[in-house]
Amino acid sequence: MARDIYVEFLRLTGFEEEEIAEYLPQWRKASEKLGLTEEDVRFATEERLPAYFAVELEGIRKLLGCFVKETIDLTQASEYKERGVKIVYGILPAVLHFYYALKLTAPEKVFVSFPDIFLTMVLNGFFHKLAPYLEEAEKAGIPYGCRHCALNKARYAARRLNIIPSPDVNWIWGFICDEAPKTDEFIRIYHDPEWKTYITRLPHDQSLGTVEDEVAERVEYLANQMKDGFESAQREIGIKVPEGKISEVISMWQGYAAKLSELALLMSADPQPLGAISGRLFWEGLFTPFNTGMENLEEALDITIREVKQRVANKEGILPPGAPKLLIYSVHPTVPWIAKMFEENGVGIPLSEFFIMSKKQLQPPSFEDPYMAAAEGWLRTSGMVNPGYQAEQICEKLETHKFDGMVFGLMDFDRWLGSSHRLLTRMVEEKTGLPVFYIEGDNWDDRDYSPEALRTRIESICEIMKIRKA
Amino acid sequence: MGVKALDTLEELAQIARTRPERLKEEKGKGVKVVGYIGRFVPEELLYASGALPYLMCRGGEPEPPDAVIPYMLRFMSPYDRAQIGYYLLGMDPVVPMLDLIVAQCSDCHESRLADMLEYFKLPTARLGVPPDWQKSLSREYYQKRLAWLKEKLEALTGNKITDERLKKSTESINKLRDILSRIYLLRKQQPPPIGGYDFIRLNHYSFYCRLEELLPRLDELYAELKKGQSPFPQDVPRLLLAGHVVGVGDYVVPKLIEDSGGVVVAELLDEGMRQHSWKVKTDGDLMANLGETYYSERTPPSIFQPAWEKRADIIRKLIRDFNIDGVIWYQLSFEEIYDLESSLMAKVMDEIKIPFLKLESSYEYSREAVGPLTTRVESFVESVRQRRS
Repeated sequence: MARDIYVEFLRLTGFEEEEIAEYLPQWRKASEKLGLTEEDVRFATEERLPAYFAVELEGIRKLLGCFVKETIDLTQASEYKERGVKIVYGILPAVLHFYYALKLTAPEKVFVSFPDIFLTMVLNGFFHKLAPYLEEAEKAGIPYGCRHCALNKARYAARRLNIIPSPDVNWIWGFICDEAPKTDEFIRIYHDPEWKTYITRLPHDQSLGTVEDEVAERVEYLANQMKDGFESAQREIGIKVPEGKISEVISMWQGYAAKLSELALLMSADPQPLGAISGRLFWEGLFTPFNTGMENLEEALDITIREVKQRVANKEGILPPGAPKLLIYSVHPTVPWIAKMFEENGVGIPLSEFFIMSKKQLQPPSFEDPYMAAAEGWLRTSGMVNPGYQAEQICEKLETHKFDGMVFGLMDFDRWLGSSHRLLTRMVEEKTGLPVFYIEGDNWDDRDYSPEALRTRIESICEIMKIRKA
Repeated sequence: MGVKALDTLEELAQIARTRPERLKEEKGKGVKVVGYIGRFVPEELLYASGALPYLMCRGGEPEPPDAVIPYMLRFMSPYDRAQIGYYLLGMDPVVPMLDLIVAQCSDCHESRLADMLEYFKLPTARLGVPPDWQKSLSREYYQKRLAWLKEKLEALTGNKITDERLKKSTESINKLRDILSRIYLLRKQQPPPIGGYDFIRLNHYSFYCRLEELLPRLDELYAELKKGQSPFPQDVPRLLLAGHVVGVGDYVVPKLIEDSGGVVVAELLDEGMRQHSWKVKTDGDLMANLGETYYSERTPPSIFQPAWEKRADIIRKLIRDFNIDGVIWYQLSFEEIYDLESSLMAKVMDEIKIPFLKLESSYEYSREAVGPLTTRVESFVESVRQRRS
């Protein structure tokens, strides 16, 4: 019988045999819509995924499957819309509670997604085929030369190419960068008048070192902004979320976060039991809503924790015991070779700082009001606050997970998150005395920074770390 | 422009150039000197506190932005980087003596600049400006930040900002706005008595001269310009200069446009210009009036959301009112929001058949860089001229 690479792909990404029959036609249709050829699917199945993900683990296969299911679902968003389902988008990063609260209130009537995340993660991470989307955006108003963000380009291109429909509401958060929300204004004026958005913003006006979650006025302002945005989203789609639903989502989210903290501790074991890219996708569950639900993701996480525990117990590692271990600001499966290059050079980067929790983040909120609780949680998150407070939290994480140093950078497209890294490099090194490095690059889009371009920098960092650790 | 007008302009330039020495003298007498960054910082409050204001708005040289690269992503606005770059290079005579720097935080570039100011232990007060400006929450936020700034200035100077003092400073600055508006409107004439290169510099000088020195000279200048003598030929192509900012010292592009045979008759620049068309009301709640004018009434900057449709309408109106033949979009490298807006404006201009030229600068104006720039500007002006005739 001839090989069916689409079936093999689904099998590799954790689909059970009985699921494959159901999903195969959908996957063929979705991949065609996304512009993926049979050769692309073969490349992912035979080369890309086995090279960067621990597909020998059931939990990791199922994790990949969650992203495939979500991507298939995303390509069906236009059909949902035709059936009268309300389409709600958002952009990264945002507090997920509100999006899930909408979804859980009316599961059959609401579709929620941050479309660019899934497209970027899956198209580049699995197939290395985001470039046609980026080029589509670049030829139509978002010029190449200005270092615009790949996520924003992907969102715009996905609409231009009719991969996704106009939303009933796109609730956009400009709590970090300016470009993301302004891209939505751009899409509406330049391309799609139906691209309906509601914007929620917070000025970056706190002094270095301010503990922002303890500034009552700031927490309150943010809570009011969230409430205002959430009420507007509910009005737009005509769905009223009952009281208590947000709190229900918060406890679901915190349960998942607690499991992730367990995985984080396991991943920082010596020897490092799992490659950085393999585990990293689990953290998307904290920042990106899955319209297909959290259950599959949580199941994959449970299996992975069990499997990794076994590896730790067996002292099995992807690196030798005692290998240097760096905390990296953020590594993305979209450009998986960066993490792999560190690992091939004998240095682990098991965790991304942006995604792991500080001790304070794991504490229960000080407020019962769900908006105040959400706002406080947001302002406890290192990536969301001023660099002084952020540096304090990073130092704590370095200590908790016993890292030997840190790597910043790879965010040169981001005028907020990426723009402070050189300063943070200095601040963290001054506070900890650990070696802290900066790499200029882009962890969403590797057209400008090829492996050849970054190899020398990564190899020299690894050499320094090995000499220091020797 | 007549000789007398040129003399007045040069006199103002001379006063502005000596601003650092004069600030130093005043500081020696115990007067507080307050630097400020951005159009949302009301100069009225600074004057009313008894402090001397100093607008930080330099640009036009490549070295200062580059001096910031060890501390900041290089894909940030060279303009914002320059505001601390001169200080890092030891080329800034004023920043080291400032008692306070009020830094507007309306976008990422400005906020990162504020981080840098604090990292280098410069006394900094951040004025948060929410870009989602059409919401009451945001308006209240800005208003509260103004109240906070008022208290901060009172504590710094030891002077209470009374209604009387605030009214006086507001009236003075309104007078300045009024005279600048009148000069600006003279540019509707063909040919205009003053071009953009001089008008932009005039705006800049207005930030660095004492009001009592400035106002009579501007009156004189207006009277001279009104006589109608123009330095430009009768058929000069009329251009709009739009974008983020022409910093103090960043005059290559406006001068090049006018050296190439065009004239800038109107500007839509978010920073570095007095927003002279809007006066602040001097009755009722004066602080509320400041908030209303500064935040809600004036042309929204590009970063505000939504803003671009309104800004396109404003450009269309300027084109009609000032009989504009072409638009030159002047943007600084890596300013991602202006880059997006430039695409929209290009589309709008295409729809109304107005020639549009996008220029981008990283303040690199070496001979090698200016050559191609000159060719582009000259070709554009020539094509606009031919279209006009």
